[in-house]
Amino acid sequence: MTAMTKVKGLATAASFAATLLVGGVTYASAEEVTLTMAVPDWPPTRIMKKFFDEQYKPKSGNTVKLDVDFIPWPDFYTRVNASLTSGEKKYNFIVSDSQWLGAFVEGGYFRKINDLIDADPELKATMESMHPAVLNAYSTYPNSTPNYYGFPQFPDVLVTYGRKDVLCNADEQAAFKAKYNEKLPCTGEEIDAMDWNTFEHVGEFFQRKKGDKLAGQVLDDDFYGIAYQAGKGYDFSTSSVHSFVWQHGGGIWDETKAPTGHAEGVVNSPKSIEGMEHFLKLLKYMPPVVKTGTMDIFVSDQLFREGKVAMNIDWIGLAEASLDPKTSKVADKLVFGLAPGLRGPDGKVNRTSQIGGQPFVLTTWTTPEQIKEAVGFVKWWLSPDIQNQFAAGGGQSAIKSVYSDPKYVTYRPWDRAWANSLDWQKDMWHVPQFFELLTQQQDQYDLAITGKQDAKTTLDNIAKFQEDLLKNAGLIQ
Amino acid sequence: MTAVSSTLLTPRLTTVVAHNWKLAIAVAVVVSAISMAGLPAAVSFWVVGATAALVAAAFTVNAYRRHYFGALLVAPAIAVLFVMNIFPLLWSLGLSFFAYQANQQTIRFVGLGNYTRILTNDLAAHATWGALINTAMFVVFTVSAQMIVGFLLAILFAKQFPLRKYLLILVLTPMMLSVVASGVFFTYYYDPTFGILSYVINSISGNQFILMSNKVGAVAGIVFADAWMWSPFVMLLVLAGLVSVPKYLYEAAAIDRISSWRQFWMITFPYIRGLLMLALLFRTIEAFKLADLVILLTKGGNDTLTISYHLIRIANEQNKTSEGAAISYLMLFMVIVLTNLYLYLANRRTQGA
Repeated sequence: MTAMTKVKGLATAASFAATLLVGGVTYASAEEVTLTMAVPDWPPTRIMKKFFDEQYKPKSGNTVKLDVDFIPWPDFYTRVNASLTSGEKKYNFIVSDSQWLGAFVEGGYFRKINDLIDADPELKATMESMHPAVLNAYSTYPNSTPNYYGFPQFPDVLVTYGRKDVLCNADEQAAFKAKYNEKLPCTGEEIDAMDWNTFEHVGEFFQRKKGDKLAGQVLDDDFYGIAYQAGKGYDFSTSSVHSFVWQHGGGIWDETKAPTGHAEGVVNSPKSIEGMEHFLKLLKYMPPVVKTGTMDIFVSDQLFREGKVAMNIDWIGLAEASLDPKTSKVADKLVFGLAPGLRGPDGKVNRTSQIGGQPFVLTTWTTPEQIKEAVGFVKWWLSPDIQNQFAAGGGQSAIKSVYSDPKYVTYRPWDRAWANSLDWQKDMWHVPQFFELLTQQQDQYDLAITGKQDAKTTLDNIAKFQEDLLKNAGLIQ
Repeated sequence: MTAVSSTLLTPRLTTVVAHNWKLAIAVAVVVSAISMAGLPAAVSFWVVGATAALVAAAFTVNAYRRHYFGALLVAPAIAVLFVMNIFPLLWSLGLSFFAYQANQQTIRFVGLGNYTRILTNDLAAHATWGALINTAMFVVFTVSAQMIVGFLLAILFAKQFPLRKYLLILVLTPMMLSVVASGVFFTYYYDPTFGILSYVINSISGNQFILMSNKVGAVAGIVFADAWMWSPFVMLLVLAGLVSVPKYLYEAAAIDRISSWRQFWMITFPYIRGLLMLALLFRTIEAFKLADLVILLTKGGNDTLTISYHLIRIANEQNKTSEGAAISYLMLFMVIVLTNLYLYLANRRTQGA
């Protein structure tokens, strides 16, 4: 205990000294403030940098420079983690996946922002205008408590990508109707109304071999009905399995119920197993790469853009590439709708889903001067005007006045699915043990996805591991 | 002049002269201790650094005045080696006896706890042993594939034939490509929808062929990619041996009408044995650390997790720094044992011959 306190004391002293040192330098040239930022390299952050360079005029009159490190997604966690834990104190601002909050807050790297929100009525109003699901997922640690750490940078949800030319073809429509006695979803509204059964039918219906006909044309390659992430890397099956588990009434270990909540009996409850089995049932209609355990969000997106599948469920963040004829063979055939859900006995569809997207967070060594400018920047970024421009450029906004504006849905074809998805979003764990929970779970899911074990064994193994890990961490009594 | 300098008297501890390294060490220890106790860590870090520089300077002046020029010339290399290799090595050895996570500001001494955990704990040991067995499997398969292919290529390129020079460059290309580029290339190559491998087999057999869907296929895929990249390296070493065999030995053998099989064992093999051993040693050590291709091709799926990738996940992704240090020491120990075993066998053969 004494050793612990000593190390903590030393660290505090060190960060204090560093603050003084860096602070001194910043004050010496008060006109120019540099904010260094670590972000993943993809359209939503590129747009942000572009807007900043073109439009941002700080109210303080200082010259604010935004120094952005664009890091490729697959390396992003490793690089940020290495930068933070090595103590180099390079970044003031970090676009962080929401799940990392616990690990980096407990490590003393992420700065709590309650004081900034309380001190600034304008910022407070902005934060309050945010959709609560987004605010809880991106900002709070412990999950869903009023302890705020992040501002939404790019909020994201899963939506269904569809190919109009295939789905709306009259012959296919008739054949589908004859086979399943229901309409093949073709318009955005019809996709919105789709449940997992219809999605499964689409998968079964569109399994075509090379030489078969698809929408009147002879195929020169195999074609598949559906694709949905089921990969071993990062969270590329957790995001899909969680949605099924929640919709079937099962659960994941719930940190808001710590320390009395358990993993055993929840994670592997009969309802959870039912949900997992439902997900596994769909895999046989997906492109063969799913059997290798490497069909992640990028692979399924590529299959869709190459015109190999009729429907794909994926994050909005990747959708921009499918619109561009240079990167997409289906650019002019797109239709988007809500991700499917589970239809209950009452006919209502449950669409509870794993939320995506990222907040940006401030680091603890950011100086008061930098914080002032950072808050100014955040307020500018979350202002309705910029948020509208961001959405028009392919981003999303979680601010109610922005996304409920009728013109919002006109920006991009998937924007129509945005507002209706928000109420259904939930997040996974924010606890510091997040990465251990995730890797073990991904390993186990992979065994089920590649057909090496059944859903029950998988969830039993996960529950046992989580119970043991979280007990040792004091999060389960 | 030289005589005078080389008999430079060792100064007393308290004498303040530039070459009094004993005094420098004493001052460094005292100043460092005081600064660490009294100053914030961010400041004392630089103070300790400055005292280390002081000691180094005293040693340098001492060596210069005593004309130890050999030592002076080697010193920078030793210094770099110490800072970049030996110090981190010892530091991580120390860490492996503590419970420490890089993202948490706590540290606690646990003795051999990390080692017992990775070797005997119900959950952790299972992963460690599984990864070690997979690694052993990859070492055997990739190294033998590379040795055989590399050796055969070398035999081929030892002969003269048209376009040899250009073909040689072509064969060497895989070795020069970055592993990531090759990995991405093979991902597409093996992909059941876009890949040529599945395309060819599908059109012959008529069934959907998915190479990476089971352990045998996944291992074969990784071994093939690794062999593709590193066989040229073995070839290069063996080729160097082959071209060094004097021509007249073969001519003499031809006159004696010795079979080409015996020619190989009696003449060629003794010349290339050392280089083959070297290739084997290099490739074994490298194969033991195999992680990049596994990450790119399977992410450890289909039971292809190697000890190196396991280590990356523990130490870098999950931030279990000290447990990672323990695993890396386990690996280091195994590599050292393996290397010495090879060297012992190689030497015994040489002496026996």
